[in-house]
Parts: sequence; C-alpha cells; structure tokens
Amino acid sequence: MNKAAMKRMTRRTEFYMFLVLIILIAVIGIVSKGSLFESTQIVTILRAMVVDGMFAMCCLVVMVSGGFDMSFPAIAALAYSLATTICLNQGWCQTSPIAGFALSIVFGAILGMFNGWIISNFKLNTMLVTLGTQTFFTGVSMGLLQLREITSTLPVALKKFGLSSLFEVTNSAGLKSTMTTMFIFLVILCAVTSFVLNKTMFGRALYAIGGNEVSAERAGYNVKKTKFILYTVVGAVSGFIGMIRVCMASQSIPKAMVNKEFTIIPAVILGGASIFGGEGSVFGTVTAIGIITLVNNSMLLVGIDSYWKDFFNGLIILIGVTVSALQAMRKKH
Amino acid sequence: MAEEYLLQMTGIHKRFGGVHALDDVSFRVRPGKVMCLAGENGCGKSTLVKIISGVYTKDEGEVVFEGNTISKITPAEATRLGIQVIYQDLSIFPNLTVRENLAINSEITAGRKLVNRKRWDETARAALDKVGCDIDLDAKMGDLNVASKQLVAICRAMLFNAKLIIMDEPTTALTKKEVDALFETVRQLRDSGIAIMFISHKTDEIFEISDDVCIMRSGKNVYTGETKNLTRKQFTYYLTGRDIEDDYFVPKNISPEPVLEVKNLTIDHRVKDVSFDLRKGEILGITGLLGSGRTELALALFGLEKPTAGQIVLNGKPIRIKSPIAAQKLRIGYVPEDRLTEGLCLAQPIADNIALSSLKRLSKAFGVLKRKDVIDEGWKWQKTFSIKTDDVTKNASTLSGGNQQKIVLAKWLANDLDVLILNGPTVGVDVGAKQDIHALVHELANQGLAVIIISDDLPEVVVNCSRVIVMKEGAIVGEMTGDGITENAIAEIIA
Repeated sequence: MNKAAMKRMTRRTEFYMFLVLIILIAVIGIVSKGSLFESTQIVTILRAMVVDGMFAMCCLVVMVSGGFDMSFPAIAALAYSLATTICLNQGWCQTSPIAGFALSIVFGAILGMFNGWIISNFKLNTMLVTLGTQTFFTGVSMGLLQLREITSTLPVALKKFGLSSLFEVTNSAGLKSTMTTMFIFLVILCAVTSFVLNKTMFGRALYAIGGNEVSAERAGYNVKKTKFILYTVVGAVSGFIGMIRVCMASQSIPKAMVNKEFTIIPAVILGGASIFGGEGSVFGTVTAIGIITLVNNSMLLVGIDSYWKDFFNGLIILIGVTVSALQAMRKKH
Repeated sequence: MAEEYLLQMTGIHKRFGGVHALDDVSFRVRPGKVMCLAGENGCGKSTLVKIISGVYTKDEGEVVFEGNTISKITPAEATRLGIQVIYQDLSIFPNLTVRENLAINSEITAGRKLVNRKRWDETARAALDKVGCDIDLDAKMGDLNVASKQLVAICRAMLFNAKLIIMDEPTTALTKKEVDALFETVRQLRDSGIAIMFISHKTDEIFEISDDVCIMRSGKNVYTGETKNLTRKQFTYYLTGRDIEDDYFVPKNISPEPVLEVKNLTIDHRVKDVSFDLRKGEILGITGLLGSGRTELALALFGLEKPTAGQIVLNGKPIRIKSPIAAQKLRIGYVPEDRLTEGLCLAQPIADNIALSSLKRLSKAFGVLKRKDVIDEGWKWQKTFSIKTDDVTKNASTLSGGNQQKIVLAKWLANDLDVLILNGPTVGVDVGAKQDIHALVHELANQGLAVIIISDDLPEVVVNCSRVIVMKEGAIVGEMTGDGITENAIAEIIA
C-alpha cells in the first residue's frame, strides 16, 4: 500500500470504528475472562444484529443520497401488522411463510412509494417528510385499520420459519444456542447493498446526488426517478425486515418498532455515513452496528447492570458523531 | 470548408414575464479564439449562456452553429454539438474520486448500468491527457485546491469533443498564480482550435486573455468586436454606461497626532517587526502578495490574531486588543474580505444588518430592542449612503453587490469609529459600484476617520491611498506617499 492510499485510509471514520471494535472485543474478552468467546455468546450477538443490521442498510442508502428516513420502522410496522392480520383472517401461512412475506413487501413498497412521490416531486426536506409520514403511518395502523397485537395466534408457518436454525452450538457449561436462519438474510442484504452502492450506476447516482444534487442533474442522472426508486425499494425492504422480526419474535406487535430510527440512524452516522450525504459504506455501518450490539449484549458479561445500556449507547453515539464532525472540520482546513 | 464563425447568434430575445432579460443580442464566436462575454451583475450574461447550453429556450432569434441553423437547443443537443459549459461551481462531486468525477458523464451518456473500473480508468486518463495534466485519480475531489478542481472540470468537458467551452467566471476563487496557470491552459486549448467563451467582469483579465469581446448591459449587447480595438476607458464606459474617472484621493485634514501607532509588531513568522502610524483623515494602503502578512496584520489590529511581540498605541495609550469586541470598544472597525460569508446576513433585512454592530447602543433597559429604532437606523444609513432600495425591511440579498458592500460599511460606521480597516473592499464588485465605494471612503476620511485599506488591487491602492506600505514575507519593504505612489513603484518591490 502506498503512502497516499494509507493516508486516505486513516482519514476514514470506518478505519477508526474498526479499531474501536477490535479493542472492545479484546477488552470485553479479557474482563469477561473469555466468556465473550464462548460459542453461545457469539451466536447470541450475531443473532441480535440481524434486524438492526438490516434496517441500518436501508438507513445507509438513504443517507448516502443526502436524505434522512425517519419512517422505515413505521413502514415496517404497518406492513407486517397488516400482512399478518390478513394472513390470520384468510388462514394463510399455515405451511409456507411466503404469502406473509410477499404481502409485507408489497405494503412496504406502497408506503415507500408514497414517501418517494412526495420527496421527489416537491423537493422537500426528507427528514421532515418522513417524520410526517412516520406519524401518519402509525396512525393508519392504530386508528384507521385498528390493527392489534397477534401473539399466540400467529400463523404457524411464520412461527416455524422464525424458529428454524442453521446450526446449534453448545458451550463449555453444556448450554445450547441456535443460529437463526434469518442471519442469512442479513448477510445477503449487506452483500446486495454493497454491490448496488459500489458496482452499479444506480448506487453511484446515490453518492453523486448526496455529494451535489445540482451537479448530478447536470451530469445526466435522473435525480427524481432515482429518489423515487430509492424510497420505494427502502419501503419494500423495510416491509421484509419487519416480517423477519415478526418471525424471530413469534409475535406481531404494531408498536414494536417505535423509536427504532433513533438508535439506527446514529449508528449509521457512527459508521461513517455523513449527515450531509455522499459518504458511507456497508463495512462501516456493519462495524458500528457490531459495536453497539456487542456493548448491549456484553454488559452482563462484564458485570454492568443493564440499566446502564442507554448510558453506553448514548456515549458511543456522542463519540462517533464528534469524531465525524472533527474529521469534517479537518477536511475544511 | 471551415466556417469563419463557430457560433453565430443573431437577434436573440428572451423575456421572463414582464422582464426583457435579453433584448436583441447578437454576437459571434470564432474557432480557436477566446471570446469574452463581459457585463456587470444582472446584465443577462447567465441567461445568454443558458440559452446556448439549452437550459432556456430563446423567444426569438437565430442560432447558427458551424454553418447550420439550430432551431431548438436542448442540453443533450448542445453536448452533441460540442458545447460544454463549466459553471462557476464546476459541477463536481467533492465526495467522489477524481476518476469518478471524470468518467461519470460519459458513463451516464452511454447508458451504462454497472461500474467498470478499468473503463473508468481509461476514460479518466484520456481526459487528463487531452489537457496534458497529471492529477492523482484516486484523490478525493474535495481534497484538491480550486485550481486543480477547475482543471478536472476542463478535462471532463474535453471528453465530449468540445468545440466551444464556456467558462462562467472561472477566476473568482483563484489566486493570481492560479489565474496565470488557468490562462495558460486556456491558451493551449485555443491553440488546438477550440473556441473559448470566457465570462468575466474583470477588466485586466479580459484584456489579457481575450481576442474578441462582447459587452452586455441591461440585456443588450453594447459592443462586439476585437478586444484590441478597444481601450480600457472605452471598455469601462460600455460596461457601466457612464464615464468612470479615476478620482484620486487628496487628504484634506490630517490630524497632527497619530491616532494609531504600531511599534515592532510581530506575529510568529508571519508578521515581522512592523511599525507604522496612522493619522485621522488619511487613507493608508497596506499592500502585498497573498501570504505577505497583510491580512494577519489587519486581524491583529482587530483582536483576531495575537501579536507575539511589539506594541499597539491608540491615542497615545499602549493597548492590548484581545478580541473583536475589545476592538470595537476601542472604536476600531474591520470589514472582512468576503463580505457575503463573513460580513452580512443575506437572509436578514437590510435594517437589521446595519443595526447589528450597534445593538447595544440601540437597546433599552434589559437589552430590549424596539423594532422601530432598528428600522429608523436602517433608513438613516440608507439615506447617508444612498443605498438603492425602496424598503430597508427587505432582505439584504435583494441588493446588488455594491449596495451590499455599502451595508457592511454602514454596519461599522453606525458605531462611531476612529479607525476603519477595509480588507479588499471591492473584491468581486462591479466597476460602477466600486467607484461608489471609493467615493464613500474618501468622504469618510475627509470627515476625520482614519482608514486602512488592505488590497492587492494596485490601481485601487494608487487611487485611494495617501500613503502606502508594501509588505513582503511579513515585513515592510517600502513606503511611499502622495505622487510617489504609482503602480510601477509598488510592483517593483512587491514580489
């Protein structure tokens, strides 16, 4: 690696976040006397990353394009609540979960399309639009459609799919833990997101729009269409993730996603995405989600009361945001 | 057979609602020549460029490109014809690499769906080769300096077999050295047969670079022809519609005692052992190249730089200026170089901008401010400076550059001052407005204000200053007064 490339690497937030992750693993590993490295603990942490990691991908692509999506949890919640209610009423998803997923994805896409239509046509601030649609979607779910919790009556195929596992591990004390099948989807979504962002002109358009929207338009990108597609796809993927979460939790709760955006968005920023758009990577985002999940799931291991969870989450986010602000300042000078 | 003219535009009209933005504009561009489109702000230059590049459609008139009449220009058609516009913001992506910035347009035009790094590399190298420059393709665009960014934008334009490159005020953010480098590139492009349309309002640059010139004023073209047939005086007349006479400043009443004395002032290595004094009623020029320490010296007088040695004496008393607030209390005012980003709140009313530095004086008990007092203050200075507006509660952004500058001055003068420091007072201001500002400064000095003008615009220094200090590498290398102040005398010692 030459000097210039080295310098560029050390200027990236991702580089520091990765160092932080390694140090955290080492420190927690030592303090917990190695129990962090128990197979069951590793499986538990990876499992906890699935839903947040997937949501982070949605959040990442929107932030790269210079936008903010506050509504993806609300989209997911409305999409899966509606999908599971329909499946329950129609008696679907008894042998295969596909109908539930298909419905949730379609509903998610429609809601995302609504976001995309407003954002691309009226050129409004994306954060304000999605704050509005977020509340609106929750209102539709709770008030208009009167969607309610589905717990023990959840269609069997969804339950079964959620309990399915890739493999089972046993730790030194003989405790067993299973690796959920859903983890595959996290890996696939990360791979697809990385491919789209780096290897397709659509992904490059997102970076270009995030970097300078006027220039992107002049260069020949169809900014309006790109944004519309972006929000529609993010909606569809949110619907999919919502259904994953329903399966993993074996229940469909319309309010389960409330405030999820407030932990995901800061995590994505922590991972190197710029609040001004045009910056961010899958690697950095996964690293940041890894850091947060690791801290949240290791507190008991190192003997810290879980009431401290928010304290550490807040601290990590503050550090992350400060680091990226400092870097932005350094670039200016 | 090669056409004598690459582009001919005849009788172009464009109206926006009731505004006649372009009124019967005609001009021609010759291949392999540099044509300057000159005019003050708001004269219709940008509208004309947008018609050539297909962003706007003309209402009337004829466009002939390479002998073919073009009935309707769209942006895509303009690109196909070989017309490329390099906008003032350069249309670059600061977050992407140089490689991607260079390759992106042709990739989109070719309708590519996937990224092919090898092809990007080839495109980017081909682009750099066309202009013969060497820039690290992996560098992030935002990390380059303005001149390099501009080169990238030029290289990118060249990829489209450009026959006509339109550059919109390309020298605005460049240092003199960078301008020279840019002009070298422009000449090189010109010699390879490309026509350049260069948009500017800077007299020196236009005379240095252009073969032909088209001067616009209020939507009409008032002069088209070869630059060499034009004198500078005629040029200014066409540009502003009035005769601009250089009005040399003659101090009328200089105070016997100096109001400000600077003794052996040193700031690190940037300002070295500088001493001078300043009397009321005189305009002192401090000039020097970029990095000569002129700006640091001024900032030290306003509390924004800490002197490492030396003394500042105000009205006979040694003082220390710790902050801009302290400087204001000592009745020292400073007008920064970049009035738009540092000196004005454009989205705020004119009156509020003027009252900003005298809020303390205007406010009543417990800091309560009466709206009426602010507006009255605004009107008072509007009259004093004849600021062109019908309402001081309108936003500062509604004013022209020259009038905005007047507000910045008014803002400082609204507080009684002893010393006023002006850093590059007319950077980016039209010729007409420039003269207004100069006249204003002369008047203020004659009323008893001590003025320091910091500028590298030598004609400005010569016309306005009764005494000039020349700085080089942080030290004073020359001082001249009265008739001894000439451009040649300064130029000899400045570099």
